[in-house]
Amino acid sequence: MNAEQPIAVSTAGLSVTLGPRPVLAGIDFAMARGEVVGLLGPNGAGKSTLIRALAGQVAFDGSIAIEGRDQHDLTADARSRIVAHLPQGRMIAWPLAVETVVGLGRLPWRGFAGRGDADGARACREAMELADVTHLAGRPATALSGGEQARVLAARAIAQATPVLLADEPVAGLDPAHQMSLMLAFRRIAARGRAVLVSLHDLTLAARWCDRVVVLHDGRIAADGAPASVLTADLLERVFDILVRLDHDECGPILTPIGLSADRE
Amino acid sequence: MAVSAHVSDLIKPGIAAFIAAALAYPAPAHAAGPRGVMSLNVCTDQLVLSLAEPADIVSLSELSVDPTLSFMAGEAASYPKNAGLAEEVLAARPSVVVTGTYSLHNTTALLSGLGTRVEEFPYQQSIDTIPADIRRMGTILGKEDEAEALARDFEAELATARADLGGVHPRAIVFGPNGVVAGAGTLQHTVLEAAGFRNLAAERGMTGMAPYPLELLVADRPDLVLLSAPMTDAPALADRIARHPAIAASGAALPSGAIPAGSWDCGGPFTLEALRALRSIRDGLLAEDQPSK
Amino acid sequence: MISRLNIILAASVLILAALSLLVGPAALGPGESLSAIFSSDGGTAALIMREIRLPRALLGVLIGASLGLSGAALQGFLRNPLAEPGIIGVSSSASLGAVLVFYSGLAGASLLALPAGALVGALAAMLALIGFSRGNTATLTLILAGVALSSLAGALTSLALNLSPNPFASYEIIFWLLGSLKDRSMEHVWIALPLMLAGWIMIAVSARALDALSFGEEAAASLGVDVGRARLLVVGGVALSVGAATAVAGAIGFVGLVVPHLVRPFTDRMPGGLLLPSALGGAALLTAADIAARLIRPAGELNVGVVTALIGAPFFLWLVAHSRREVQS
Repeated sequence: MNAEQPIAVSTAGLSVTLGPRPVLAGIDFAMARGEVVGLLGPNGAGKSTLIRALAGQVAFDGSIAIEGRDQHDLTADARSRIVAHLPQGRMIAWPLAVETVVGLGRLPWRGFAGRGDADGARACREAMELADVTHLAGRPATALSGGEQARVLAARAIAQATPVLLADEPVAGLDPAHQMSLMLAFRRIAARGRAVLVSLHDLTLAARWCDRVVVLHDGRIAADGAPASVLTADLLERVFDILVRLDHDECGPILTPIGLSADRE
Repeated sequence: MAVSAHVSDLIKPGIAAFIAAALAYPAPAHAAGPRGVMSLNVCTDQLVLSLAEPADIVSLSELSVDPTLSFMAGEAASYPKNAGLAEEVLAARPSVVVTGTYSLHNTTALLSGLGTRVEEFPYQQSIDTIPADIRRMGTILGKEDEAEALARDFEAELATARADLGGVHPRAIVFGPNGVVAGAGTLQHTVLEAAGFRNLAAERGMTGMAPYPLELLVADRPDLVLLSAPMTDAPALADRIARHPAIAASGAALPSGAIPAGSWDCGGPFTLEALRALRSIRDGLLAEDQPSK
Repeated sequence: MISRLNIILAASVLILAALSLLVGPAALGPGESLSAIFSSDGGTAALIMREIRLPRALLGVLIGASLGLSGAALQGFLRNPLAEPGIIGVSSSASLGAVLVFYSGLAGASLLALPAGALVGALAAMLALIGFSRGNTATLTLILAGVALSSLAGALTSLALNLSPNPFASYEIIFWLLGSLKDRSMEHVWIALPLMLAGWIMIAVSARALDALSFGEEAAASLGVDVGRARLLVVGGVALSVGAATAVAGAIGFVGLVVPHLVRPFTDRMPGGLLLPSALGGAALLTAADIAARLIRPAGELNVGVVTALIGAPFFLWLVAHSRREVQS
């Protein structure tokens, strides 16, 4: 964790139960401004639920503090100026122009009848550049490819200009170049003092672009730390049931899945 | 008003013929005079009530006790009622069945086919056909003398009314549920004319029961708007039109009780009551000295 | 806010409302008609204009606006381009509620019974559909549920009217299922207007939430939208608007479906921004349809719902064919 930056998000004993099933149990987690934290874990480990809990969208036990404020004390309005949430399900219901979609990210900052958001235009422009969608500005978002839509929605969340950005699998379905450019965009906004939590399935992408990774397993934190120290063959076999070949270059680890744990015999 | 219950062909003629054969009753002998009359229509009900001995009345239609349609609803109360079904006739075996021409069409044809004596009275009545209807019912019921007396009284009063038609004829309209009015060819039309009114609906070229736009009612400025009473206490939007503010504002509307209920929905001796009520309304209008041209 | 589109639509509403005032069986000249509205001499023309044609024109505008607005709000809230008060059964449920209260005689044939029953019917339908659609916003699923609800409400309305001892009641099925503006009075305007205004305000307040809901409920919540409150506003607003409209004019279909689609291409397509043009467009469309209903068959007059269905049903089919894209949750 970046010790010089203030804590943006912290949880203590966070537990979430959906129906009869405990989805998260005893999560103690913190992230600071300036960090890009990768959230890893197999399907059903609780990644999306953790993101939803931090975004204030599911009931939880334990405590969550966002920018020093208790999650329970935040109104939806106040929260929307602190936390941006990019949900996994990508929906754009109407053929809105790309710039309109991104502009809706400014909703929390607008007063009555859309007035009072002096920074809006600049924030949208920057967000569209970061997500590489400036050239699509006038196009109807529903006519774009899935990858383009993903970037447009990411730009929408970036334009919200909150200290905390929670992105649930934002790069799923993107081509390699745009996966990297979106991760780069997250690094850039982190460098400007924001905290970014991003759930990922691509282990190498996480290892290369995240300052830190948190690995969830069965609703608990299995590991938390720098990618190189956390992503060991042992952990990956235990948590993901896979065998990987680990290589290193000057940018960090390269993880190549080579088989399932069950194949070891 | 046309009062006709539509009885679908519940009983197919073949089945009915089978039932009749199974019961194997002989056709009633007419020569012995009527031993019982059964009426299937609210209009014939009232002619029967006016003339028949109470003991001769087998049953009347269910509508005979509806005070909005039947002037003689009170008198009808004590008699058995029928729903106009052929089955009921076969079970009761009256010597004669009286009904309207168009009502219960299937039933009538079926009963005639089975040898029951059925006497049909025409649905289209005018004030001038009433004496003939009374006399005919008298013949059917074996009450020729009583019928003749009633018919003569009727003709006399009608003639007196017509002799007294000098002066202005105010314009009237009979405005019923849903804005349906009585045009030319209706009983109401002839009663209105006999009482010294012009029927606005007929002047507008309407025949029978026809919808009359509310706007025209206001534009035509009738001297008299006769509203009909709701047929039941059960609400319907059809009855709401009588309460439209435009009608009240026209100043010509009379409440539904102005003409005795049921007195001119069917033609009978009691239709004189409608004539009398209209004549007194006309006298009132003329006394106000503001008749239309 | 006051875009050119809204100005054009507002002008159309005014022109059509004026035309509506000129259509009727009584032969009144245009100048005579319009000046009679402001005359209080109690003359024939004044009586016809103020008591018969004015309430009709006003109700055309008010009900059309309510239906257009409700259609736009429902489409936005449910993220479903096929949503509409008529198609999803809100209108027919409102009819059922009104019929049950009025014809049972509970309220003694008072006109005030109509909106009370209609509101309850519309509200029940909205709650049933919103409950059904939670986590299940697939376009066709919701529409099919609405069609089932609509058929059920229509059948129960027919049943209730057939069971009425009043022989005229069963002929009124067509009014409740197809709607009409014939022979309304100012009384109808006064009982519907306050409820409609309340409904309009509730929907207007939800505009911002409808915009955010374009990205689904989670994203909307992260934009500071209280989705529960938005649901309450839309459910209440649509129930009030459609309930009041149906109470005085029966169930008029398709206005809420057609209008948002017609005006959407001329807007930035944001659901919130679509509300005002849809209300104005609805007012214009229903007023035009009501003029047509009187001109096509002047003597007997068509039910205005027949005209809107003749326009709307083919449009609905076209829309179904062109929006196979399932909306994801």
